[in-house]
Amino acid sequence: MPHTRLVQARILRAAILLVFGVIVVNLLVMQVVKHDEYESQSLENRQLRLRVMAPRGRILDRDGRLLADNVYIADITVPNRCLGKAGPDSTLEKLLTWLRLPRYETLDRLAGEQSSGRPRLTLVANAVMPQIAVIEERGRELPGVKVETRSRRRYLDGTLFGHVIGYVGETLPSEIGEEDDPDGYKPGDWIGRDGIEAVYEERLRGQAGYTLQEVNAVGRVVGRREVELRAVQSGQDVVLTLSQALQDTLGAAMGDNRGCAVALSLPSGEVLAAISAPAYDPNLFTSRISTRDWQALQSDPGHPFLNRLTQATYPPGSPYKIVTSLTALQNGEATSSTSFSPCDGSYQFGNRAFRCWKKGGHGAVDHTSALIHSCDVFYYQLGLRLNIDQLAVTARLLGLGAPTGSPFRGEAAGNVPDTAWYDKRFGSRGWSRGVMLNNAIGQGELLVTPLQMAVLTGRVATGLADLRPVFVRDPATAPPAASRPLPLDSAHLDWVRRTMRQVVDMGTGTRARVQSIEVAGKTGTAENPHGEDHAWFVCFAPAILPEVAVVVILENGGHGGAVAAPVAGRWLSAYFAQKESEKVVTP
Amino acid sequence: MKLAWPRNPGEGGWVIPAAYAGLCLFSLATLWSVTEGIHGPYEIMDPGVPKSIFWRQVIWVAIGWSVLLTVRSLPLRWIEQGTPPFYLLCVILLAIVLVAAPVVQGARRWFDLGPVRLQPSEPAKIAVILVLARLLAAFHAQEKRLLPVTASMLLAGLPLLLVLREPDLGTSLVFAAIWIVAVFWYGLSWVLLLSLASPLLSAVFSFYAETVAGSPWPWGIYLVVLLAALTRARFRLLENLALMAANIVTGLITTFFWEGLKVYQQERILTFFDPARDQFGSGYQAIQSKVAIGSGGLFGTSYLQGTQKGLAFLPERHTDFIFSVVGEELGFIGAMLLVGLYLVIIMRGLQIALEARRPFSSLLAVGVVTYFTFHVVVNICITTGLMPVTGLPLPVMSYGGSNMLTSAIMLGLLTNVGSRSFET
Repeated sequence: MPHTRLVQARILRAAILLVFGVIVVNLLVMQVVKHDEYESQSLENRQLRLRVMAPRGRILDRDGRLLADNVYIADITVPNRCLGKAGPDSTLEKLLTWLRLPRYETLDRLAGEQSSGRPRLTLVANAVMPQIAVIEERGRELPGVKVETRSRRRYLDGTLFGHVIGYVGETLPSEIGEEDDPDGYKPGDWIGRDGIEAVYEERLRGQAGYTLQEVNAVGRVVGRREVELRAVQSGQDVVLTLSQALQDTLGAAMGDNRGCAVALSLPSGEVLAAISAPAYDPNLFTSRISTRDWQALQSDPGHPFLNRLTQATYPPGSPYKIVTSLTALQNGEATSSTSFSPCDGSYQFGNRAFRCWKKGGHGAVDHTSALIHSCDVFYYQLGLRLNIDQLAVTARLLGLGAPTGSPFRGEAAGNVPDTAWYDKRFGSRGWSRGVMLNNAIGQGELLVTPLQMAVLTGRVATGLADLRPVFVRDPATAPPAASRPLPLDSAHLDWVRRTMRQVVDMGTGTRARVQSIEVAGKTGTAENPHGEDHAWFVCFAPAILPEVAVVVILENGGHGGAVAAPVAGRWLSAYFAQKESEKVVTP
Repeated sequence: MKLAWPRNPGEGGWVIPAAYAGLCLFSLATLWSVTEGIHGPYEIMDPGVPKSIFWRQVIWVAIGWSVLLTVRSLPLRWIEQGTPPFYLLCVILLAIVLVAAPVVQGARRWFDLGPVRLQPSEPAKIAVILVLARLLAAFHAQEKRLLPVTASMLLAGLPLLLVLREPDLGTSLVFAAIWIVAVFWYGLSWVLLLSLASPLLSAVFSFYAETVAGSPWPWGIYLVVLLAALTRARFRLLENLALMAANIVTGLITTFFWEGLKVYQQERILTFFDPARDQFGSGYQAIQSKVAIGSGGLFGTSYLQGTQKGLAFLPERHTDFIFSVVGEELGFIGAMLLVGLYLVIIMRGLQIALEARRPFSSLLAVGVVTYFTFHVVVNICITTGLMPVTGLPLPVMSYGGSNMLTSAIMLGLLTNVGSRSFET
C-alpha cells in the first residue's frame, strides 16, 4: 500500500503541477507577452473620445450688424427607457413634481418623441436656472437624467431675412456620416437647409474638435486629465452684401403685399435688399417645429417657402419693351422718332384685335413717347418688324433666359423663346409671326424671375454686360468687378435711359418720384392667366451715374404704375435720405 | 523547529500556518486597496466597496485563526465519529435551502440569519471530504472495490445534485473533483477512471470541434489518442471496443443535439463558453478581469493604483474577482507570489497525505488538497478567461465569512493530520 500510494502521489503531484503550469504560462502570456494589447484596452476603457461641436459661423449684414448667431441653451433630457417605468418613485414622477411640469401634456409630448427612436428624450427644452439647479442638486436621486447644453441658431430679424439667409435643421439619418469619419455629420448636428445657410454650409460649419477624457465604468467623466486630439475650429462668419436697415425699409415699403422686391447696388451688383413675401420665420425650424405649424406653413396659399426672388417666374410685361426697343434700334428697324399707324386702342392682326392697355388709345405716338406711355399698339407694329431670334439675343444679353448665378439653390432660368424653342414646342408650322406681337410687349411665353429683371435693369443702367447679383462679401470668391460693356450702341442705351427718366417724370411711373433725385423707371402690368394682373416696376437712380437699381413685382397687384412704383419710390427716398444723413455725419 | 522544507514525518508543522498567515495578510492588503476610492466621486450605479468590508475581513481573519488552531488540536477520533451526523446535517440543510431560502439572482444558496448568511454548501464540502474518508478508510483492506466506490459515489453525488439544483454549477463540480481524487487515492486505477470519464471528454471535444474549430479534427484527434491509450493499457479487446463505441456515440449525440437547438439557445450556450460574445452581460466581468490582469504587466500598476479597479470597471472585485486586482496592481510577480503560497499549502498537504499512517487521515488530507487545488485553479482560470464565469471564491483571499471559515477548518484538519503523522 505505501508503495502504491507513492505512485499515486507522484501522479497527483504531476497533475497539480501541470495545471498550475498552465496557469503560470497563461499569466506570463497575458501579463508579459500581450501586456501592451491589454494595456491599450485598459486605456480605451477609461478614455472617452468626446466630440466638441464647432460653433457655427455667424451671418452679418454689410455694416457688420448681426443677422444670425448662436445661443447656448440647456435641455433637461431623460433616457428613452425612462418613460416605460411608472410608479410614484420613478425618476419621471420625481421630475414632474420637482420641476412642476404639466403632467399630461408632458407625458403626451414625451410619448410622441419616444416613437422617433432617439436614445434620449428632451424633458425640458431651454430649461431655466431654477430647473437646472434642481437637477444638479438631486442628481443622485435621478439616475440617467442630464442637463445637456447645445447651441441653437438664432435669427435676429426673423422673417425679414427669411429667404436670403434660409435656415438650419437637424441632420437627417441619411446625412449622418461614417462612425469613424471625424468630419462627418453626427446626430444632433445642424445643417443648412435653405438660403445662405445651405449654400455656405461648409464655411459656416467649421470643424468639430476631439478630446480624450478619463471616464469611469458608466461613462461619467472623472479626473481632470484631458487630451486635445484636434482643436475645434469655429465656423467662419459670412458677411452679406445686404443691409439690415435697407432690408427693413424695403420690407416696410412692400407692406402686406405678396410679391418680391430687390435692390442692387450699381455698378457692383451687390444686393442691398431682397424681399420675397410672404416669408417664414427661420427661428421656427431651430426649435423642433411642431407638426401643426409646419402644416400651416405648407398649406399657406401664399407659398411662404417659395423664394420668389429666384424661383418664381412671371411674364415680364411692359418693362420688356426696353428689350424690344433696343433690338429695333440695334438692328436698324427703327429710330427714336419712328412712328406707325396711330393707336386707337387696339391693333388688328389677322382676324384678331390686339388691344392697347389704354382703351381710348394713345393717338399718334413716336418711339420715345410710345415707351414713356407704354403704348402697346406701337410695340405690336414694332415687333412685326423684328424676328423672334433678334429679340431673344438682346434679352439674353441683358440677363434673361438663364440663371443669374445667384448662390441660391434651384434658381429658375425663366424662358426666352426663339425659333428653335417655338419649333420644338408647336412644330415648325405650328406658329407664326403673330408671336411677335405678344413678345414685343413682354407677354406670351416669356418668363423671367424678379432677380433677372434686376440684372436687366442694372445692365441697362450701367451698360455693363457682366453685371451679376452678389449676395455675400467674400474676398476669396468675389467675381471680378463688372467691366465688359454691352455690345449695344451707347447712343441707343442713352436714349432708353433718358426715356425711362421721362417715364417717371411724366409717364406711367410718376408715383416713383423721389425728391431731389432723378429716377428712371418702367412700369408694367403683366397679364396673368390665373387671376389679377401682376404689377411690375423696374427702375434705377439717379438717372445719371446710377447707384441703385430696384425691381418690384406685386402679385395680382394690378397696375404697375399705381402699386409697384410707390414701393420703389418709398425705398429710394429712404436710401437717399440715409445717404444724405451719412454725408452730414462723416465730413 | 527547523525552518527547512520538512523531509521527515513529524517535521514542518509551521509550513501551513505560515502560508495561511501569508494569505491572510495578502487578502487584507488587497481588500484595503479595493476599498480605497482612487478616482473622483463614486458613481450612483457603483458606490464602490466600503471600507467596512476590510474591517469585517480583519475580524474574519481573527476568527479563522482561532478556528484553525481549535480544529488542529481536536482528537481525530472525535472528528471521525462526528462525521456521519455532520454529513446528515449538511445534506438536510442543503435540502431545506432549496425550499426555504430566499431567491437571490435566480438562485437559492443561503439562509439569512440576521448579521450572517449561512451557505450550507460550504460545510457540505467539509462533510463530503470527511464522509468519503471515513467510508473508503473502512474498506481500505478489501479487494472488492465496487461496493465502496459505488457507495462513495452516492454519498458525494447526493450533495452534488442538491447544489446543482440551487443552481450552483461551480460548487457542485467541487464535489465531483473531491470524489474523483478520493477514489483515485483509495486505489482505483487511473486508467479505469479515465475510461469512465472518456465519454464526457468525447462530448466536450465534439462540442469544441462543432462550435469553435468548425472542423471535426479536434474530435478525431482525441479519438485517436484515446485508442492509443487504451491499447497500451492492459484491457480486453471487447472492453476497448465498447469504450470506443461509447465515445463515438456521445460525440455524435452532442453534435446532433447542438444542430437541433434554436439559434438563440445556441447563442446562450456560446456566451457561456465565450463571454466576449456578450460584452454587456455576463461577459463583461470576464473581459474587464482579463484587461485588468493583462494591463498589470510584469510589475503591476503598483499597489493602490489599479485603474480598472479604481474606476469601477471590475465587478465583484472584493470577492470572486480579487485575483484580478492582485494581477493588475502587483503584476505577474505579485500573482506568482500568491500562486506560490497556494502551491506551498497544496504540496505540503500532499506530503501530509503521503505520510499519514491511517487511511482516514490520508484520505482527509487528499480531500483538503483537492479542495484547495480545485478552488484556486478554477478561480484563476475564470479571472484569466480560461473558463466561463461561475461563482467560486479564491480560498482565504476572497472576502467573506463562509470562505474564511471553510478554508480555516480545512487547514485545521490538514495540520491536525500533519501533526499526528507519527501516530498509528
